[in-house]
Amino acid sequence: MVHNEEIESMKKPALFIGSLMILVLVLSVVKIFISNRVATSGVLLGIIQEQAASLKTENVLLSEKLYTESALTNIDSEAEKQGYVEPKSDFVLSGQMPVAYKQ
Amino acid sequence: MIWRYRIAFLGIVCLFLLVITRLFYWQVVKAQELSLIAQNQYGTTVKLVPQRGEIRTSDNFPIVTNKISYLIFANPKEVKNIGETSAVLSSVLGVDLASVSADLSLDKFWVPIKSAVDSKTKQKLEQMNLPGIGFDSQYQRFYPEASMAAQLLGFVGKDDQGNDKGYFGLEGYYDRLLQGKEGLAMQVNDAFGRPILAQTNQTSGEVDGSSLILSIDRSMQFLAEQKIKNGVETYGATSGMVGIMDPKTGQILVMAAYPNFDPRDYSVYSDDLYKNPFISDLYEPGSTFKPLIMSSALDAKVVTPQTKCNICGGPVTVSGYDIHTWDDKYFPNTNMIDVIQHSDNTGMVFVAQKMGLDKTLSYLEKYGIGSTTGIDLQGEVSAPLRPKNQWYAVDLATTAFGQGISITPIELLDATATIANQGVEMEPHVVSAIEDPSGNIIKVPPKVVGSPVSSGTAKAMTEIMVNAVEKGEASWARLKGYRIAGKTGTASIPIQGHYDPTQTIASFVGFAPAEDPKFVMLVVLNRPTVSIYGAETAAPIFFDIAKSLLGYYGIPPDQNN
Repeated sequence: MVHNEEIESMKKPALFIGSLMILVLVLSVVKIFISNRVATSGVLLGIIQEQAASLKTENVLLSEKLYTESALTNIDSEAEKQGYVEPKSDFVLSGQMPVAYKQ
Repeated sequence: MIWRYRIAFLGIVCLFLLVITRLFYWQVVKAQELSLIAQNQYGTTVKLVPQRGEIRTSDNFPIVTNKISYLIFANPKEVKNIGETSAVLSSVLGVDLASVSADLSLDKFWVPIKSAVDSKTKQKLEQMNLPGIGFDSQYQRFYPEASMAAQLLGFVGKDDQGNDKGYFGLEGYYDRLLQGKEGLAMQVNDAFGRPILAQTNQTSGEVDGSSLILSIDRSMQFLAEQKIKNGVETYGATSGMVGIMDPKTGQILVMAAYPNFDPRDYSVYSDDLYKNPFISDLYEPGSTFKPLIMSSALDAKVVTPQTKCNICGGPVTVSGYDIHTWDDKYFPNTNMIDVIQHSDNTGMVFVAQKMGLDKTLSYLEKYGIGSTTGIDLQGEVSAPLRPKNQWYAVDLATTAFGQGISITPIELLDATATIANQGVEMEPHVVSAIEDPSGNIIKVPPKVVGSPVSSGTAKAMTEIMVNAVEKGEASWARLKGYRIAGKTGTASIPIQGHYDPTQTIASFVGFAPAEDPKFVMLVVLNRPTVSIYGAETAAPIFFDIAKSLLGYYGIPPDQNN
C-alpha cells in the first residue's frame, strides 16, 4: 500500500515537467508561425508608410494654399483688382427723429 | 626527440597567438567600425528633425507656419549625360550652368544641387525622369501674410552647426520653445531593404516645437501697417512706427514699423531693418513725456490742475540756458490744464522745479523709465537713468518736457497705458498663450508691475489729456463724437551734442474711449519733412487709425461730445 503511494508521488513531477515541455513546444510553434506571417508584412508596412508620408505632404501643400488664399494681404490685393476701394468717410446713424409728434 | 615536441608545441602556441592577436584586432580595435557597418546593413538611423512651432495671431491664423520644400541632389555616378542634365537643371532651377556641371562631374555618390525648391518646380523635374537626380523633402518657414509684423516676428536663420535658429523678435525670444527637440529613429530592414514589422522602429526623443498664440490682432495690424506706410510717404518721413496695447491686460494688439523686411528673404535686406524699432530704438520723446511728469506732480500733490504757473510769462532761464515754448507764445499765470493743452515748456519747468529731483526720479522709476519693460521680444533695450549726482538743474528742467532723456517707444506706451488703466501698470506681452505639440494650451496671465500713481491722479490726468485733444494744437484732427485722451510730441534730435532745428521726431500718444479705454496707441514719425510738428503729422495718423479701431470695436460716437 505504502509502495503504491510512493510510486504515485514520483509520477507527479514527471507529469508536470512533461506538460511544461509540451507547452514550450506549442508556444515555439506558435511563435514560428506568427513570426513567419508578420515578417512578410514588411512590404505592406512600406506601402502604408509611403501613403502616410504622401498624405502628410498633400495636407501641408493644401494648408499652404489655404493660408495663402485667406491671407489679408491676398484678400486686399484681390479686392483692389475687383474695384473695391476704401470708403473715404463714414456716416453714423444716430438718434432718430420721430416721424410725427402726438399733439 | 624532445626538441621536436618542443618545436611543434612552440609552433602551435605561435599559431594560437596569431589567432588571438587577429581576434583582438577585429573584436577590440575595429569593433566600433564593424558595428557601424553591421548597423548600416540591417537598418538605417534617421535623424528626426522636429517641426518648428507655428506663430498665430489672436484669430488663430498662422502668421508663421511651415511648408514643404525640396533639396535637389544628384548621384554623379548615375547621371548618364552630364551636359544635358546640367542644362536642364540650370534652366529649371535657375542655378549657374558651370556650377551644376562641375558638381555633376565630381567623383562622389551625393552632391546637393539646390535647396528650398518649391513643390511645383520639384514636380516639373520629377516628370523629366532625369537619371541620378533625387529629391529630399524638408520643412521651411512660410509667411502667409508676407512681411506683416516682420520686425515683431524675427526670422529663422542657421547657427554654427547649420541647424535652424531664430533671430530677433518672437523667433529669437521663444527659439527653444519653437524649435522642439531633435530625435533619432532606427528602421530595421530585410535583405531587400524593406522595413521589417517584427522589429519595431525605435524612436527616441523627438518633440515638435510648441506654437505661440499672440495677442496681435491681424486685422488691426494690417490696417496699422497700411496707415503708417501711407503716413511715412505722405509726410516725407524716413521711417515710422505704431504700437497699440490693451491697457487693462498689457497685451500688445499691434506693433508695426515701416520700412520693414521680408522674413522669407531676409538676407537681401539691410541688417538695420531686422531690429524692432519699437523696442530697440532710443529717442527723446519730447512733449509726449509731459503727461508722465504732470501726473507724477499731481500724485505727489505738489500741484493741482488749477495751480497757477508764476514763471510762464516768458522764457525761463535755468543755469544760464534760456528755455522757450515751442511757438514762443507765453501764457502768464496759466494753470496745469492749459500747460498740457498749450504744450507749454515753461509750465513744465515750473512743475519739475516744484517736484524736485528726488521725487521726479522716484516717479520716473515707478513708471519704469530707464529700465526694460519685460516685453517678450528679443532685442529690447533701455537707457538707465543717470545717477542722482550727475543731474543738474537744467537736466531736470528739460526732462520735464521730454528732452535730454532717452527712452524706447514701448516704455512710453506702457507708461501712458498706466494712466489709461487707473494708475495700474501692466507688463506688456505679445504672447497670450502657448500650445504644446499635444494641443494643450497654457495661457499667459496678465502681470501687474506696479501702481505708480493713484486712480484719482490717473483720472485727473486723463481729463487734462482729453482737454489737450479737444482744445490743443491737434484739435483739428480729432474725432468728433469721441472722448479721446492724448498728447502730441515734437522732439528735437540730438546730433553731436547739439539739437538739429530742422529735424524732429513727431509723435502722438493717446487712448480711447477716455472713460473705459479699449486701446492705448503711440504713433512715431522719424524726421518728417512736410511738417516737423507732431500735431500736423503723427496726430492725423493716430486719429485715422483710432477712427477705424473704434468702428472695429463697435463703439458708436456720442453726439454730446
